[in-house]
Amino acid sequence: MISDRLKKIICDELYLDVNEIEITDETEAPQVPGWDSLNHSNIIVAIEKDYGVRFKGLEVLKCNNVGALQNLINSKISQ
Amino acid sequence: MIDFSSLQGDTLWERWQYFAQTTPDKEAIIHWRAADEPYRWTFSSLLETANKFSLYLKNIGVKKGDVCAIIIRHNPYFYPFYLGIAGIGALPSVLAYPNPRLHPDKFRQGLSGMAQRSGLDWIFTETPLEDIIQPFVEDESTTVDELFFPLEWDLNREIDQAAIQELSEIRTAIKSNEPMLLQHSSGTTGLQKPVVLSHDAVLKHVEYYGKSIELSEDDKIVSWLPLYHDMGLIAAYHLSLASGITTIQIDPFEWVLAPILLFMASSEEKATLTWLPNFAYNLMADKLSDEEMEDLSLESFRMIVNCSEPVRSDSHKKFIDRFNKYGLKANAIAAMYAMAETTLAVTQTATNKQALEVSIDREALSNGKIVLTDNPLKNRICVSSGKLIEGCTLKIVDDSRNEVAEDGSGEIAVKSVSMFSGYRNYPEKTAEVVDDEGWYYTGDIGFRYDDELYVIGRKKDVIIVAGNNIYPEDVEDAVSKVENVMPGRVIAFGEDDPELGTEQVSVIAETAVESEEEMKHRRVDIIRAGMAININIHEVYLAPPRWLIKSSSGKPSRKANRERIKNKNDEQVWSKK
Repeated sequence: MISDRLKKIICDELYLDVNEIEITDETEAPQVPGWDSLNHSNIIVAIEKDYGVRFKGLEVLKCNNVGALQNLINSKISQ
Repeated sequence: MIDFSSLQGDTLWERWQYFAQTTPDKEAIIHWRAADEPYRWTFSSLLETANKFSLYLKNIGVKKGDVCAIIIRHNPYFYPFYLGIAGIGALPSVLAYPNPRLHPDKFRQGLSGMAQRSGLDWIFTETPLEDIIQPFVEDESTTVDELFFPLEWDLNREIDQAAIQELSEIRTAIKSNEPMLLQHSSGTTGLQKPVVLSHDAVLKHVEYYGKSIELSEDDKIVSWLPLYHDMGLIAAYHLSLASGITTIQIDPFEWVLAPILLFMASSEEKATLTWLPNFAYNLMADKLSDEEMEDLSLESFRMIVNCSEPVRSDSHKKFIDRFNKYGLKANAIAAMYAMAETTLAVTQTATNKQALEVSIDREALSNGKIVLTDNPLKNRICVSSGKLIEGCTLKIVDDSRNEVAEDGSGEIAVKSVSMFSGYRNYPEKTAEVVDDEGWYYTGDIGFRYDDELYVIGRKKDVIIVAGNNIYPEDVEDAVSKVENVMPGRVIAFGEDDPELGTEQVSVIAETAVESEEEMKHRRVDIIRAGMAININIHEVYLAPPRWLIKSSSGKPSRKANRERIKNKNDEQVWSKK
């Protein structure tokens, strides 16, 4: 399940109100207002900064929804 | 360098056939896949499969001159299918695969707009899109005959001699001055302008542009550019196939999520040429880590050509500084000025030389004069797009379309031997931009210095985001329908994003709502309205009623209101910041 921390990072980066936007494990980037291909890399950088982790482009490519992104973060943290 | 005069084939099919016979085992297309081994087409295997598609197309009733829309994602069978269409004299027209955020109604509306202008006869797509497209095909007013799924076709059947003879007769009847392909400009709700290009136009362009970049048999192109975009289709696809060289094709959707794919593919395959819109230079320099770049080499690149949006000196510098240690040569950094209406290129910078830059006085430039200056407080660094390629001419004109003085700036007008034959079924738009002498008025502003062209801005309001043209009218129409936004009281414009090296879409909308809470709701609704037409609205400014300045036509003025937002910190205007 996605954490409040991840949801907040995404919403902050897109200037969205965290209480108004529904983001679940199944949510895909195009469903979130403002999350387009250009903003995508900014969101990834914000996540990397906040969690202190680094992703490879190909790792991110495999994440087809926010739940998969959360799993990737979790696997990085546990390393 | 390739001796183009020795290449045979007056039509594209004949040219491809020529390479299938003379260099059958040479790789034509390397279809790159992020999570799998690449799929490799040789010239002979590509043509053999294209033949099978041609036969299939003929048997379902596709005829010479029919326009065949292709809506297919990155797939190895896209290429022979495209060739197969051209192989029976029909016109392939690559359309963008709909982004999941695009509302199905809007997608169909876009198709309908295109069908009216382009006279789309057939749609070839993938089964997941059947439910979305079928209602459009069944609509009484549509020009489209039928929807097909070519990736499902059985290609294992051998072609018999009689069928080969039939195809051969069809191909013999295709003349070099006849239409070969149709491509669309950007836009979502009927503002697309269909450009038809003949075999002659494409082949001449391949020759003249190929000479300008000293194309050789050993060159290899690598590209993530979508093939519905002129730069992807002509530079990274037709150029290679009609010159007998290899192209490596990367999925644009994958590249944008993992930009490292371009360098992985180029390093592995030793690619020598690529074309990129300006934002890609910033994106790659900023986002690719040393860890990702480990073991990759950029030494093989001899030209990385910047095109499709204004070329920025800062972006080139950032890119060179970042990737120099991986073997990138500064003299590989090149630029081109191009458009679909002239098939592609008009100018190109020299090989083995970094694109030139000049330092121009900003104030003089705003008055249409080119004055060099060394003063860093007053200057603007302009990057050259190079010299005219063979077969092209240009002039710089004022608002009355009179040529300006040698040291003046103005609208760029061009002529080319590879010129389009007018927008299809759109004579009024053609008449707006092409005069009686055949000059095409581009709407771009630029100047010439020392025989090189510098493009510095646009006369038209079109917004270029990451190489894609976005028409403000599309955005304004969509936002006008948002609840509590005053209909018709919206303007959309491009705002510079120096960090990303491109423009982003901004909107000013009048609304009567006042509370912070309601403003936030409106902002999200406006962004969602953009999403429904697959446009990301980056910045939303909400203004009270009657805030927008009107132009003499009575409509809100994009230019005046953009300046007003930029220059004033207006307390009446709400934005997220």
